Amino acid sequence: MMQLIAGQLINGIIVGSLYGIIALAVSLTSGITGVVNFALGAFMLVGAYLTWHLNETYSVAFPFAVILVMGAVALIGLVADVLLFRHTRNNLINGLIVSIGLVSVIVALVHMTWTSTPQNMQPFVAGVFTVGGVIVPKMKLLMGGVLVSIVGLTYLGLTRTWMGRAAYAYAQNPEAAALMGVATGRLQVGVAAFGAALCGLAGSMYATLYSLTPDIGALYMLKGVEGALLAGIGSVIGALFGGMLIGVAEGLGSVFLPLAFNDAYGLLMLVLVLLFRPAGLFGGR
Amino acid sequence: MRQSLLNFLASAALSLGLAGPVVAQEAIKIGQIEAQTGPSSSLGFMATQGAKLAVHQINQAGGVEVGGKKYPIDLDSPDTQGSPQQGLIQLKKMLEQDHRKYILGPTLSNVFNGVREYARGYDGKLLMFAPATAAHPELGKPGYGFLLRPVVFDTAPEGFGTYMVEMLRSKGAKKVAILMQNDAFGRFAVDIYKDSFAKAGIEIQTHWFEASTKDYSAVLARIAAWKPDYLFPGYTDAALYDIVQQATQLGLTKFWLVRGSLGPAIRNKASIDEYIAYMPKYFEEAEKTDPKVAKFIKDYKDFFKVKDFPYDLAPLLNMASYDHVFMLAEAMKRAGSINDVAAVKKELLSMTYDGLWVQKFDSVGGGIHSYEIAEVRRGGAIKMTLVKPGSK
Repeated sequence: MMQLIAGQLINGIIVGSLYGIIALAVSLTSGITGVVNFALGAFMLVGAYLTWHLNETYSVAFPFAVILVMGAVALIGLVADVLLFRHTRNNLINGLIVSIGLVSVIVALVHMTWTSTPQNMQPFVAGVFTVGGVIVPKMKLLMGGVLVSIVGLTYLGLTRTWMGRAAYAYAQNPEAAALMGVATGRLQVGVAAFGAALCGLAGSMYATLYSLTPDIGALYMLKGVEGALLAGIGSVIGALFGGMLIGVAEGLGSVFLPLAFNDAYGLLMLVLVLLFRPAGLFGGR
Repeated sequence: MRQSLLNFLASAALSLGLAGPVVAQEAIKIGQIEAQTGPSSSLGFMATQGAKLAVHQINQAGGVEVGGKKYPIDLDSPDTQGSPQQGLIQLKKMLEQDHRKYILGPTLSNVFNGVREYARGYDGKLLMFAPATAAHPELGKPGYGFLLRPVVFDTAPEGFGTYMVEMLRSKGAKKVAILMQNDAFGRFAVDIYKDSFAKAGIEIQTHWFEASTKDYSAVLARIAAWKPDYLFPGYTDAALYDIVQQATQLGLTKFWLVRGSLGPAIRNKASIDEYIAYMPKYFEEAEKTDPKVAKFIKDYKDFFKVKDFPYDLAPLLNMASYDHVFMLAEAMKRAGSINDVAAVKKELLSMTYDGLWVQKFDSVGGGIHSYEIAEVRRGGAIKMTLVKPGSK
């Protein structure tokens, strides 16, 4: 039993890092644009299918496919922001409606392009590590490492660069940031594209672990939003932690309870956090 | 100006009158209610493709000769999109306006449940080839004389499930872990198979998962600790790909399944030991060995003007589709009528048709047909076993 619990703890942390990277994208874009962009889940979906397509159809090596996909999805995010979300800044309802509409269009395009037949990609790294009876697939460890590193680099970028500090300043006080010379328009578009690229990365990592169907974006978007709200919007490390908390709860929960409860843990924690700490675990009181 | 217009209209009316009424050639009217788009469309899409091709081939050959007269087939196959409401609207139009007596489909149980009561009102005037699982319990019941279910029932005496459980027993299996999707079909499958396993003296342990599950590592670890001989994992490819890959990582390498493709086995061929699966027909292999299948594939590509044949979807043609149009035509020939539904049904129940599948109906309209069992071994070697009706 202890092996099972230890295995699920590690598994939960790794799977949670996937939720965490989407939570980070949600946190950044909503902090800067004032809109919770539900299309980020659809960007992850596109990233997953593009990775599979490049790898399986054109034999593009996985690492190169990831880079290409991040670029392509960032471009999609940028175009969506310029054409659509630029007009919904700080308007939660309008942004929500536009993003839901965009999700429908993207999912329909994925259906048309790749059909609803499930697709599956070979793991980039096959095999498992077995330590003390605990089995962890190598690809999962690699994914966890990559995603935690990306979150760490994002944190450094936001705290150690002028652009990053400008983003923080804008999130705290947009008018003051503008008066201090921050190019707010470009900053918002840049963050939207970066958030999309993070989702593209999440999609690439997802594709090498799980099968692809056109409905995956919505589920992961929900986990990402839960993770971001658990942490508190604007917290980079908190977003990763929020995602991991959900992943661990799901992993350990499924040891003792049926899998049917898996989607409930994140929402349950969110209710508790919203009741007792509305700004999130990492947000100010 | 006004006078000339009246003259024109009068002469036009006279011309039409002189030409006399256009008498349409009497046709065999078949309707088909299937989902061709939407999330559950793969079954219905393939069924309609098959029916369209069959109708084209029959009409191109001059139609169906019944009582010395040749009749073309008129097929109407709108898209239900998987909606019971759409299915009902379409069936009403087919029966009330178009006076169709022969209906292919539905394959989806929700659509069947939506049209069943309405269709019962036409009992005796209608034949419905409904592959829907929900149709099976109604076969032979009063008011359901219109119903035929072309697909063999898993655990019927000649069902593939019965054969496959016996196959497991003969391999010495003592324990089977079931990891099944927690939905209507999953519950139904466990209900019917637990009795078959019990009869074969095989112990089972059942676990459930939700459709949204992607990571099965916890439940698979619990299953691995029980050390089953085989894992019976779900019924959709979306789940099978993930389960098979994750199960092999935990040392579960033998699989047994009654729905789903060989894709997950081929994808994980380096790590599985055995993957036993029901296949209505393995078209990739049958194309090389069966001239009828080879001709069908060529005809399909020519008719639909496609370069690639959908090998993955083609086994779904054993639903109410290609063979059943030919079977229906043959029954009409034997009955000597295109309108006497009772006589046509009687002929259908008494015949064995040798098409893409060898198939017949039992006394209540349940389908019995040939099928194949695939055994995929480590490395990807595939052994197919063909089981024909009555061959057990």
